[in-house]
Amino acid sequence: MIRALFEWVDAMPNSVAWRESLNAYVYLLTIHVVSMGLVAGIISYWDMRLAGIALKWIPVSKVKSALFPWLYGGVLVNAGTGLMMLYSQPMRYYPNFWFWFKMGMLVILAGNAAYFHLSIEKTVEDWEHDPVAPLKARLAGYLSLAFWAGVIVTGRMTAYSGLVPQWWLDLGLG
Amino acid sequence: MLQPFFEWMQGLAFSAFFLESIWPTPIVQCIHLIAVSVFAGALLIVDLRLLGTGLKTASLPEVARAAQPWLVWSFGVLVLTGIPQMSSTALKQYYSPFFWWKMQAVFLGLVVTFLIRRHIASKEEGHYGPVWPKVVGVASIALWTSVTIGARLIGLLS
Repeated sequence: MIRALFEWVDAMPNSVAWRESLNAYVYLLTIHVVSMGLVAGIISYWDMRLAGIALKWIPVSKVKSALFPWLYGGVLVNAGTGLMMLYSQPMRYYPNFWFWFKMGMLVILAGNAAYFHLSIEKTVEDWEHDPVAPLKARLAGYLSLAFWAGVIVTGRMTAYSGLVPQWWLDLGLG
Repeated sequence: MLQPFFEWMQGLAFSAFFLESIWPTPIVQCIHLIAVSVFAGALLIVDLRLLGTGLKTASLPEVARAAQPWLVWSFGVLVLTGIPQMSSTALKQYYSPFFWWKMQAVFLGLVVTFLIRRHIASKEEGHYGPVWPKVVGVASIALWTSVTIGARLIGLLS
């Protein structure tokens, strides 16, 4: 079913046009990398505040209100260019081990952020002035730092589609 | 004038190792990209503060002091991981206009970040008036964005 979806997108006229464009991929990947610096750079300071590594003297809610508008802007550009690259070359990404590894990490990051927002953050007023946040908040920060690093690594490795485990090649997706 | 130096780099056993081995180059590239993100974050929290936004709860020198170790250490990692990437493809880099674009932007970025910006960010807000901190913040963001664009274009268009 997923393959059929990717093949359907692959055949769309705009997908073909972008794929065959000389400059579209160059512009998209360059903007994707620049906005990655913004997203990962900003979110690392939020995560480091939660983990008790940096900005420990600033209340947690103040760090959030100061950095998140920039983070949202960065995510918009980064996700937008990522989706456009996927749209233009779906059958390049479909059989790519690192692409799916990266998507899996993004799902876990979204779950971590949702759990933090819906559960841990509910009590933020009780601990936001503490230099070291409660264990659950610190764990959420460390998890996010580790998985964002993983997203960067797997994103870069997408270019190395041959450097993958043998069992993945045996699936014969390519 | 620099061509013999780049030819010498390309001929090193160290360069051949990275060019001919399978895993060292992608591993070094991944570490380089993680360092780019740490460096970008440490730059941005100070640049945004210079622009009058971001972490306004803290004073400018406080934010700059918090970012400085991350800035210095991540730049060290960038240099260390950049050397094998440059030497293993030295002649490609030498003939790429984007490599020279990147190096000029790195030089200007270092001057702005570690000399001018460091000095301005060490003083309380208002010490240099309302305009100069913003000019330096914009220059810092523009120069390091230019470095990233140049770097990416070496791989894509050279």
